[in-house]
Amino acid sequence: MSGAPASARPGPAGGRPAPLVALFTLLTVALALLVILSVTVGPEPLPWTATLEIVLHQLTGGRLFSSPCPGVTSAECGRWVQVVWDARFPDLVLAVAVGAALGLSGGSLQGVFRNPLADPYLLGLSAGAALGASSVYTFDLEPANRAFVLPFLAFVGGLIPGTVIYLAARSGRTSPQTLLLTGVALNAFFSAILATFLLYNPVANISVSFWLLGDLEYATWGHDGLVVPVVLVVGVLLLLRAREVNLLQLGPDVAQSLGSDPRRLTRQVILLTTVVTAAAVAFAGIIGFIGLVAPHIVRRIVGVDYGRVLAGSALVGGALLVVAWDVAQVVIRSVIVPVGIPTAFFGALFFLYLLYRPSGLSRAGGPA
Amino acid sequence: MTEALGLDSVTVRYGERVALHAVSLRVPPGEVLALAGPNGSGKSTLLRAAAGLEPTADGTVRLGGEGLSSLPFRWRARHVGWMPQEEPPGDNLRAVDYVLYGRFPYVPPLATESRADRDAVDRALAHAGATELRDRRVWELSGGERQRVRLARVLAQEAPLLLLDEPTAHLDIGHQLDVLERVRSVARDAKVAVVLALHDLNLAARFADRIVVLHRGRIVADGRPPEVLSSRLLLEVWGIASELRYDERTRLPYLIPRSVSAPAPLPPPTAGGRPRVHVMAGGGSGAQLLRHLVERGFAVTAGALPLFDSDTEVAEELRVPSALEVPFAPISSATREQVRAFLAEADAVVVAPFPVGPSNLANLEELRTFPRPAGIVFVRHPVGRRWDFTDGGATTIRAELLARGATEAETADDVERRLGRPVSA
Repeated sequence: MSGAPASARPGPAGGRPAPLVALFTLLTVALALLVILSVTVGPEPLPWTATLEIVLHQLTGGRLFSSPCPGVTSAECGRWVQVVWDARFPDLVLAVAVGAALGLSGGSLQGVFRNPLADPYLLGLSAGAALGASSVYTFDLEPANRAFVLPFLAFVGGLIPGTVIYLAARSGRTSPQTLLLTGVALNAFFSAILATFLLYNPVANISVSFWLLGDLEYATWGHDGLVVPVVLVVGVLLLLRAREVNLLQLGPDVAQSLGSDPRRLTRQVILLTTVVTAAAVAFAGIIGFIGLVAPHIVRRIVGVDYGRVLAGSALVGGALLVVAWDVAQVVIRSVIVPVGIPTAFFGALFFLYLLYRPSGLSRAGGPA
Repeated sequence: MTEALGLDSVTVRYGERVALHAVSLRVPPGEVLALAGPNGSGKSTLLRAAAGLEPTADGTVRLGGEGLSSLPFRWRARHVGWMPQEEPPGDNLRAVDYVLYGRFPYVPPLATESRADRDAVDRALAHAGATELRDRRVWELSGGERQRVRLARVLAQEAPLLLLDEPTAHLDIGHQLDVLERVRSVARDAKVAVVLALHDLNLAARFADRIVVLHRGRIVADGRPPEVLSSRLLLEVWGIASELRYDERTRLPYLIPRSVSAPAPLPPPTAGGRPRVHVMAGGGSGAQLLRHLVERGFAVTAGALPLFDSDTEVAEELRVPSALEVPFAPISSATREQVRAFLAEADAVVVAPFPVGPSNLANLEELRTFPRPAGIVFVRHPVGRRWDFTDGGATTIRAELLARGATEAETADDVERRLGRPVSA
């Protein structure tokens, strides 16, 4: 999705655009294949050939596999199509969009805070957004158009931790330790309120685990139609700031002396990541660690230029969440665990690796 | 009237302290002006104010005749290049990509760098003598190479005014001369005005058209090197007795320092110069101290410091060799070994007011073996704040060392007084 702007913009680190275009094309194709293959995964046992045929049938507008499930009644086939196309596929599209949103947010926040541990989850943005979105249920608001109100409230909720970390950054307290502990505090604070609200929820038809652990099970095409454009637009806006994020790695003073406005950039990036995190959290709950892990993986492949890191983090973040979703559906037979469990499990291991790897953790993309 | 830079009674305050006091200065195109003065005299502040990085409490700064404060950042970046003494290591880019950052103010927001930008980078690399470094990674450059690449980045801005803060710091004499020669030729060939902070007066006399001496935020001398350099100035401003001589060939003046006026209470440092000070810190307790000591020319080591700590960040930024440890974990034997090695080399040890717990108590235990307890300075903990989380173990060691001759200090200045003045200052 975001591969196109990246490959068109080799960025300040320039140099060898040809292999980069190839790399991003490859990543995009791999992600598409991963999504299509993941359609075969689900709690309901369907023949995997039929699921693939249904997807290709639907994607090509019926030109391929005109009768996608041979050997079953048309009523049964209609049900299969429903399971695959209206239940499984929207989940996967949401997984890609949410993973991309988190990857983009993590990469951008790590850039502006010059801090390898910045991530919308660890900084408490996700928890704030979840609290905002869940207030629809807590206060039984029943708005006319919940699909639009939910992400808006998530955005409002995310602005609170966003403002706190912006103020912390402006006061110069951006050492990895302080920023991380600020995030821990915000996270615990909002999660506690959120859990209380949901437990004593008057309408109580939404589970606590959905918000606190994140889930993709309830995705619909309607949700996708809202999240995907937000991720695309914010993704492009963040990529347009990649060059300034690069400069900021030399410190705010040098960045300013080169013509950038570091404070404005930090404000913009926090605002944009809050928007995109809110969109993700509104429909998928709090999903941790994708925003932390994706940029670290990407930096190893494409280097330190933020144009590439952000585009790559979107693609890799999407892929990671798709894989996590696959794992969530198969790890316990006939039960779907919230997708936040596999991401937290693997993300936490990766986090520990970052902390204790031999070279230590001193800077974003630190000495290899 | 042509001027590259104009300052009209510019005053800069840091809180209560006045760092620049109604300073006025005019720099014409093509002039190389050296700012001289002791540490803390306002050289860096003047450069920062001229670059628009420091808000002025009073007065105006003009670039090419225009009031700086109303100009957008991108415009400023095309008209003034600023090279700080230190900057974060950034990413491990190829040198050519790093220098390309200097073209940022020329590239429209939606475009990429053009052929013209790449040509400008090539010219900048050539002027800085860094052409052969273009494909090297910046973290792998030596001090002299790194400084040439940084100079190239500033030159790539193609600004009519360059502000260079101690461009020769950390360089050996050969590289100092090399960098200054290059700066001179850029000023001459491209009619670029250069203002550089230089603490070495003899280098200033050799390379600058004009020397401005700052003392406590005020200009105390301004003129051509022969007019400015005098034994009296050195004594008044730096407190150093010296002898003025003239180079027979260039007929430029140079000063030979005789001695420093304040006697050092510590024994003279080990071979080759600067007194070595080991700093124990953590939790941000030593950040200011580390900066202060490095700035004053001490050879500083630190540790054991916890990773992620703001002190660790500062130590890294200052390139202070440090023993590092995972936070809240007991100090490993390897780290302890490293601390021991630093202590063996140190002339003095400064213990910042950090909280001591079972995990970092080993620092103080190592300190017991330090052969000159009189060279240990404890910075006092804030009154009423609990710092000993070891059931009294840390307090016992501290008391024992104080009994054996260690001293206590209140502030960084106080610490410095106890350590004595580095001979090379």
